[in-house]
Amino acid sequence: MNVLSFDSKHCERIRGQLDAYLSNELLVETTSEVLKHLETCVACSRELDSRMRVREALRRAASGQLPPEGLREAIHERLRGAQFGNFGGFRATSWALAIAALALVIFAGVASQQSLGVRRGRQLVSSVLALGVSDHLRCAIEGHNYPALANPPDQLRAKLGPDYAGLLQVVEVRLPGFQVLEAHLCSVPGSPRKYVHFITRGRGTILSVILTKRVGEGLPAGRFLVAETSGGVNLYRAHLDEMDVAGFVSKDYFGFVVSDLGQDEVIQIAAGLAPALRNALGGRSEVRRPETRRALSVVTEPAV
Amino acid sequence: MFYRSKTRVEDFEGAAIPHLADLYRSASFLLRHSSEAQDLVQEVYLEAWKSFHRFESGTNCRAWLFKILFHRLHHLRRRLTKTSKTEAFASPADQDNIRAEPPVPQEIRDDDILLALEKVPVEFREAVLMADVEDFTYKEIGDTLKIPLGTVMSRLSRGRKLLRRELVEVARGYGIGSEGEGTPKGESG
Repeated sequence: MNVLSFDSKHCERIRGQLDAYLSNELLVETTSEVLKHLETCVACSRELDSRMRVREALRRAASGQLPPEGLREAIHERLRGAQFGNFGGFRATSWALAIAALALVIFAGVASQQSLGVRRGRQLVSSVLALGVSDHLRCAIEGHNYPALANPPDQLRAKLGPDYAGLLQVVEVRLPGFQVLEAHLCSVPGSPRKYVHFITRGRGTILSVILTKRVGEGLPAGRFLVAETSGGVNLYRAHLDEMDVAGFVSKDYFGFVVSDLGQDEVIQIAAGLAPALRNALGGRSEVRRPETRRALSVVTEPAV
Repeated sequence: MFYRSKTRVEDFEGAAIPHLADLYRSASFLLRHSSEAQDLVQEVYLEAWKSFHRFESGTNCRAWLFKILFHRLHHLRRRLTKTSKTEAFASPADQDNIRAEPPVPQEIRDDDILLALEKVPVEFREAVLMADVEDFTYKEIGDTLKIPLGTVMSRLSRGRKLLRRELVEVARGYGIGSEGEGTPKGESG
């Protein structure tokens, strides 16, 4: 190793200041002292040149160390990503939690209201559908008010009266595989409500088609309550007193199909029948002739 | 709030992105791989963005970014295996060799000086880089590295001497002569 020695401690002290001198970090007095020494000392001047050369070489070499392509864009992307994760110092997670909590409260409230609404709706549907089941049980099942062999159609139309006689054909056509055994106007003991009752037989069991006038009641149209829609008619269903019942609403009437065939089969039968019955009842109900009211008043006396 | 956030990130990029090359350069000289440097710089920008609301407009954004860079770098370094070069440097024999500085080559190639820089222990290397490449003042270096001014000067002195010594060794390995060869011994004023 080539080792330099110094002739004076002054050179050694000055060389100790050279880097600070190059960095302009010396006091004014010290800078003057260094400059004065460099004017007369060739070795220290050479040392200064050497250090300047190294520094310049380092700066030059380092300047070639450029960031790779894509780094700036990567930072930009991450900042954009962080932008949506940091709103004014309040982290997105906090916002997300707050929003989620609020959404949960709202959802719970809505769900609670909806659940309450659905529960009440189902109670209302059941109470309405129970009308048809009640008549079916009392008149057809318990009362057995139908013959072994179907009554002649003319007799059935006579029992139905002029206002409902036309419905017989609708039921016969819309209930393929079922035979109309009996049709009449009836009521349930203890209730003023009157029913138009078709008792049919098919698929090994008894099936009733029942109509009754609405007295201000209705059926809710919630999507959790309507079982099916057929021809624009909402169908409701329930299983009450071991019977399956499908119900629908026309302008002035409730209609029911009641049997023990199972809910799916009963709703399927009702889907084929309800639109036609609604149309037939709708046209009739719009005509409020005295005869009609008289005909209905006849119903107050059970025909069976 | 969304609009405000959008405005702020644009402000941040306007203030901070111009210093990307400086930050990457320092990171690349203080870490072994370019990928590590890129990751570090990205983390620096993300951290800076998160605390940008505390940054005072008009103050030295570059110094602030370097402070974050070195904070993360030191944190990272603590998790890495430390080299023993610093301890070896403290031995009396090395001190003597440094005092008896060999002259550096007349022609310094970029590769040589970068190779020499790589051999300088990182504690000294970072001080040399900040002073001689990034032109930070001693006080700024002390603030950034969180060391007293005396320690800054000490590290710079040692780092520069080590760099020159390593440069001579690298050049000698390539068979390049130094200016000292043929220079009269003990020439002084």
